[in-house]
Amino acid sequence: MSSDVRFTDFKSDKQPTWCPGCGDFGTMNGMMKGLAETGNDPDNTFVVAGIGCSGKIGTYMHSYALHGVHGRALPVGTGVKMARPDIEVMVAGGDGDGYSIGAGHFVHAVRRNVDMTYVVMDNRIYGLTKGQASPTSRSDFETSTTPEGPKQPPVNPLALALAAGASFIAQSFSSDALRHQEIIQKAIEHDGFGFVNVFSPCVTFNDVDTYDYFRDNLVDLKEADHDPTDYEAAKNVITDGEKEYQGVMYQDENSVPYHEQHGVTEDMSEIPDGAPEDAMDLVREFY
Amino acid sequence: MAEDLNWAVGGEAGDGIDSTGKIFAQALSRAGRHVFTSKDFASRIRGGYTAYKIRTSVDQVQSVVDRLDILVALTQRTIDENLDELHEGSAVIYDGERSWEAEIPDKMTAVDVPLKSLAEDAGGAIMRNIVALGAACEITGFDVEYLDEALEKRFGGKGSKIVENNKEAARAGQEYVQENYDLDHLGYAVETTDNDYVLLNGDEAIGMGALAAGCRFYAGYPITPATNVMEYLTGRIEDYGGHVVQAEDELSAINMALGAARAGARSMTATSGPGIDLMTETFGLIATSETPMVIVDVMRSGPSTGMPTKQEQGDLNMTLYGGHGEIPRFVIAPTTIAECFWKTVEAFNFAEQYQTPVYVVSDLAMAVTERTFEPETFDMDKVEIDRGKLVDQDEVDEWLDAQGHFRAHAVTEDGISPRAKPGTIDGAHMSTGLEHDELGRRTEEEDERVQQVDKRNRKVETAKNEEDWDYREFGDADADNLVISWGSNEGALAEALGYLEEDGIDVRVISVPYIFPRPDLTEEIEAAEQTIVVECNATGQFADVIEHDALTRVKRINKYTGVRFKADELAEQITERLSEEVPA
Ligand SMILES: Cc1ncc(C[n+]2csc(CCOP(=O)(O)OP(=O)(O)O)c2C)c(N)n1
Ligand code: SF4
Repeated sequence: MSSDVRFTDFKSDKQPTWCPGCGDFGTMNGMMKGLAETGNDPDNTFVVAGIGCSGKIGTYMHSYALHGVHGRALPVGTGVKMARPDIEVMVAGGDGDGYSIGAGHFVHAVRRNVDMTYVVMDNRIYGLTKGQASPTSRSDFETSTTPEGPKQPPVNPLALALAAGASFIAQSFSSDALRHQEIIQKAIEHDGFGFVNVFSPCVTFNDVDTYDYFRDNLVDLKEADHDPTDYEAAKNVITDGEKEYQGVMYQDENSVPYHEQHGVTEDMSEIPDGAPEDAMDLVREFY
Repeated sequence: MAEDLNWAVGGEAGDGIDSTGKIFAQALSRAGRHVFTSKDFASRIRGGYTAYKIRTSVDQVQSVVDRLDILVALTQRTIDENLDELHEGSAVIYDGERSWEAEIPDKMTAVDVPLKSLAEDAGGAIMRNIVALGAACEITGFDVEYLDEALEKRFGGKGSKIVENNKEAARAGQEYVQENYDLDHLGYAVETTDNDYVLLNGDEAIGMGALAAGCRFYAGYPITPATNVMEYLTGRIEDYGGHVVQAEDELSAINMALGAARAGARSMTATSGPGIDLMTETFGLIATSETPMVIVDVMRSGPSTGMPTKQEQGDLNMTLYGGHGEIPRFVIAPTTIAECFWKTVEAFNFAEQYQTPVYVVSDLAMAVTERTFEPETFDMDKVEIDRGKLVDQDEVDEWLDAQGHFRAHAVTEDGISPRAKPGTIDGAHMSTGLEHDELGRRTEEEDERVQQVDKRNRKVETAKNEEDWDYREFGDADADNLVISWGSNEGALAEALGYLEEDGIDVRVISVPYIFPRPDLTEEIEAAEQTIVVECNATGQFADVIEHDALTRVKRINKYTGVRFKADELAEQITERLSEEVPA
């Protein structure tokens, strides 16, 4: 659309109520910049958000948006994209929202390869409900509902996506602003389901998966000479139990998005005034 | 009323009972006869008794009766299950060469036809049901050529050889009976007319209504008896640029439909009770975010998985009250298959005019029943589309606040706000399930909360005043006895009037398609001496709301066996109820 769109055009005038220092600020900035840099504007963009601190993002951004019910943002995004292939769709939510209550939808949205960008703000905790274990919490992570830790291994969302047949898998870190934005942009530009797991630290309830932890431990795939189109290489970094990576792990260059596979091209919001002209044929079928 | 003929084919699930029945029903309809079909089926794919029943007459038929004239029995169970309905003049077609020894009571006419061997001679044992149809034609004096047309329609896509073989099989059955039996004394003679009818069921009518109304997106998850809506739309909606998604579950289905609706498309989902349970979470969101959407509930027996293949009207309370908090909504329950079409069209208009979720509540009896109609019943020229306050680019400015924000939830007198679809410049806005201000942004301000709740509820008040919340009426308008019904019971009731009249009982029947908002029936009830509410559930959910509206007590007829009302049975029960004392 218009080339003079600035990322601040995607900002609403609502002040975020996130805790000072919350990783979601950086995640959101990267999303807004990514959208602006890829030539979108608020009037052709639809942001769907889940429930959680992360889900509030729809309120702080300016675009067409729906803040739905817990865990169901991906199906909403799917509906928007199918009805309007002309609209840029971005879905955002937390690790609880996406990998717990919404895990089923995650697998199926991945599998369908709907052309949208899915950003998960992974803080490895439930923020909004004040600090319970999430599906990505470490097995010994003590919380109010798991005083001795969840005692079950965390899900590996990247592996889940890979197993479901994802065409784009990436991970970023919200405070590495430039790199995060770059990865988001690649996800937006990808033809198909662009999945980005973003480490977005919760400064209030998670004292393990902190900024320092990610700063010290994340390995950038840029420096590791990783080829994202190489499926085996992608599998190796995704299932590496020792290290955590940022960057684009996997991208299928031949990805065909769901709406194209199904021949959906039209703007479904345009309908004639009255029944379609040949509609009596529908009745004649029942002769 | 002209003589009606009652025919059935029964066997095991997997025996091709459905398609056999459908072919015969289509042949009768092509012959200008009215047809009303019903199915008995169990919730299993192979094995288990299943039957397809047809009632046909040159006059309109809209109910089942307790009588079977011709029965094609592929198993002994078919005979046993229908023994009550068979009578002295009944003919039972069966295959004596098969391994079962048919036990048919003496007084009926047993017509032993070697279905399997005749079918094999014609090209394959699979056609044994078609041989039976040919035999049925001979017994009823129905020209086998009408069967040809239905066979062409059914098998045309599979090549002319298959069509020819089937035609041959039908003739083999016909000739066999002609040569081996003299059944003139049974007196069956199926008259034909020049009328052209269409034959369709409730699910198909809903799907057709959706297409006519401009529905372009459908997401659903398979469930009996709603799946046919999805099957109908699949393969047809694409012709109009639309798409059907088979979602991973009902939670997803309704959220996909919600997304498409917010993107500006006319969008729908259909399910049955268990699916409605799952969708209820999002139902509140649809109402709060003021999204136009149509949700179809084809009811079956509950609670829980209940009796998946059986009739019930048990979801009224759920559609009326389901969901936490207070949710403005419309609930429309078509009372005939034709209404399934028209009320679906209306539902889409209401949804967009009032920006609310609209329930279309149908039931299993309607969904699996096919009935004949004059094609003009579905006159597409009469379909009107009203998209409500969907603003175009020129109108957006009127709805911007001083800062240039689009007031998607503007507080208006009629309670209806403007709606901008994505792509409308300056229309960008947020919608949420959280309570929000005029711009759609979260608020917990007392005033704003009250304003928004009132605004949403005011839409319903506006609709109550603006629209006709009519009912259909039969029988004697001045009768002292009033019978009220909703949903698919209408056909049986309309026919029950005939029986009641014979017994000198005058009844006024009111059939109500609107559950919420609904017509106020206080005057009608006060004018009557006795009021009975008829419904297929145990507790009388509609009777409860009627009592609440009219501040009086009514009598009730409730059936919850899983089987729909029959006309003769209803007449009997009405007579009985009328003689009982009025409840205090
Ligand atoms: C159906 C339902 N169940 C539970 C909740 C309560 N709830 C709100 S947010 C949340 C967890 C959010 O965690 P996460 O997705 O990790 O987001 P974060 O707050 O950490 O960003 C829960 C359980 C809800 N809103 N809806
Ligand atoms: S609780 Fe955690 S996730 Fe929520 S806003 Fe605060 S820092 Fe962010």
